[in-house]
Amino acid sequence: MTNRPGVLASAVRVFDLSLGQMLWSRRSVFLAILVGAPMAMAFAVRMVAVTRGLPVINGAGLNGPTLFGILIWMLFVRFVVPVLGVFYGTSLIADEVDDKTITYLFTRPVPRSAVLLGKYLSYLACVVLLVIPSVVVVYFLIIPIGGNIGQSFPSLLEDLGMLIVGLAAYGALFAFVGASLKRPLIVGLVFAFGWEQTVLLIPGYLKRLSVAYYLQALVPHAMPQDSSISALLQVFQEFPPVWVSLVSLTGITVLGLWLAGKTVEKREYVLEQ
Amino acid sequence: MSNGSVVAAEHLSKWYGQVIGLNDVTLSVPAGITGLLGPNGAGKSTFMKLITGQLKPSKGSITVLGEPIWENPSVYFRIGFCPEQDKFYERMTGREWVTALVGLNGVAEAAAAEMAARAIETVGLSDVADKKIAAYSKGMRQRIKLAQALAHDPELLILDEPLSGMDPLVRRKTIRLIKEWGRSGKSVIVSSHILHEIESMTSNILLINQGRILAEGNVHQIRDLIDEHPHTVFIRADHTRELAREFLADAQVLSLKFEDGGVVVQTGRPDVFYARLTELAASGELGAIHEVTSPDDNLQAVFQYLVKS
Repeated sequence: MTNRPGVLASAVRVFDLSLGQMLWSRRSVFLAILVGAPMAMAFAVRMVAVTRGLPVINGAGLNGPTLFGILIWMLFVRFVVPVLGVFYGTSLIADEVDDKTITYLFTRPVPRSAVLLGKYLSYLACVVLLVIPSVVVVYFLIIPIGGNIGQSFPSLLEDLGMLIVGLAAYGALFAFVGASLKRPLIVGLVFAFGWEQTVLLIPGYLKRLSVAYYLQALVPHAMPQDSSISALLQVFQEFPPVWVSLVSLTGITVLGLWLAGKTVEKREYVLEQ
Repeated sequence: MSNGSVVAAEHLSKWYGQVIGLNDVTLSVPAGITGLLGPNGAGKSTFMKLITGQLKPSKGSITVLGEPIWENPSVYFRIGFCPEQDKFYERMTGREWVTALVGLNGVAEAAAAEMAARAIETVGLSDVADKKIAAYSKGMRQRIKLAQALAHDPELLILDEPLSGMDPLVRRKTIRLIKEWGRSGKSVIVSSHILHEIESMTSNILLINQGRILAEGNVHQIRDLIDEHPHTVFIRADHTRELAREFLADAQVLSLKFEDGGVVVQTGRPDVFYARLTELAASGELGAIHEVTSPDDNLQAVFQYLVKS
């Protein structure tokens, strides 16, 4: 008899099996269009800058690094990262259940938590492959508008690291939501765009129960004052130290995955077929 | 293994909310080939899901190869499961898919590829192993499912409606394969709603209806009873009309109608009818026969009669 493979070894096998499916799914095509939007926007801004000079917002001229910071805040941190986390994270197990392919994974000698971990690793690889090219293209299109690529490069690496940490935390959290609930997408969207946005506006400790609170502390750019909500956010904003944010986001990721794994081990998914 | 049985259930019940899927079943499935026969909604699927550890018993207990199956993944080293649903990772080739699934048994990549190739050859799909599953016919899809179940050489094969949608020739080969598996000292539990399918593999039958086991063992009288009722078969072939003409000349055919690109035949002697159909498919004189299916309602009347009597 073959020895029972460990959780990590099994997860790697599930990762191999799932990555291709996830990369070429309709969801990935749709979300690739979503992450393509910042690139299109950056291209348009660059064209305007080339033909008409520096872009002007509220009467002030913006240079490339400032504009790049605004795009990282407004598009990636507040929108793309939570959206990718919700759409992929909640579907890690739900897709296999809906497609009725979960049977093939759950009738093999691997712990169910390894199946979840393998799917999560596929998610991480998939979203990193979607987000990093988008950020890098936006960077190279925007920074040269009155900025210096060499000077700003370290902050690009910080941005990429911060986005990956954010994707990991949101993915793990929504993997738990997806493993536990029947309609995880609705709950995930309410959490990402209701709870997360609201608690940041409330003074006190409640904001510590959000991913955004810790993630925002890692953004290497100043928060833009693009709306009245942003202005409010700046009034109430308190950023935790970077190490606290990193430890908290790692904790959210590990706890989310552990809870998701435990849920998957105990739940009877076939019932939903 | 407890008392030589491959599956043992003690007062096993499963309910979904208010609905009972399986009701206080106590049984012992012996080694060898066992057929699980019952109409649609009888509890076959619930039973299959319980013995493959996909569902947790609501009450009672179940052991497979002497061990509890729920939350015990190591038992899957010894079990191969071919589910009923026609669902796959469509973008993968048959070879990639079977290799990846065998790999989940902790087998090294090269060994997994070798085991997959052997299983694919066993089910006769070597020539299309590198085609995407999305391009497979219904029969091929059934066979690749079977390949992933037997690739790791399990002690117990659990097959849920494995012959559904297969053409007569492949059906015959698959039946032979299952019988050989049983003869090699391994065990098979195979479910179907068609007695003639089960009977061609084994005489050891578990009869299930409304969540209860009605009968176990060698049930010839049930077979006779079923033969008295008309049996409906749907056939899709290259030359459906010629095939229909051939059937009309046969006294065993009670009625015949064209439907969904195929022909629906009602026969009073299913065994004779299936034998003739296999002959026609083997001769190839009326072109290829692509699909043979039988609706669930064939058994329903018989079961109603059994429950009343």
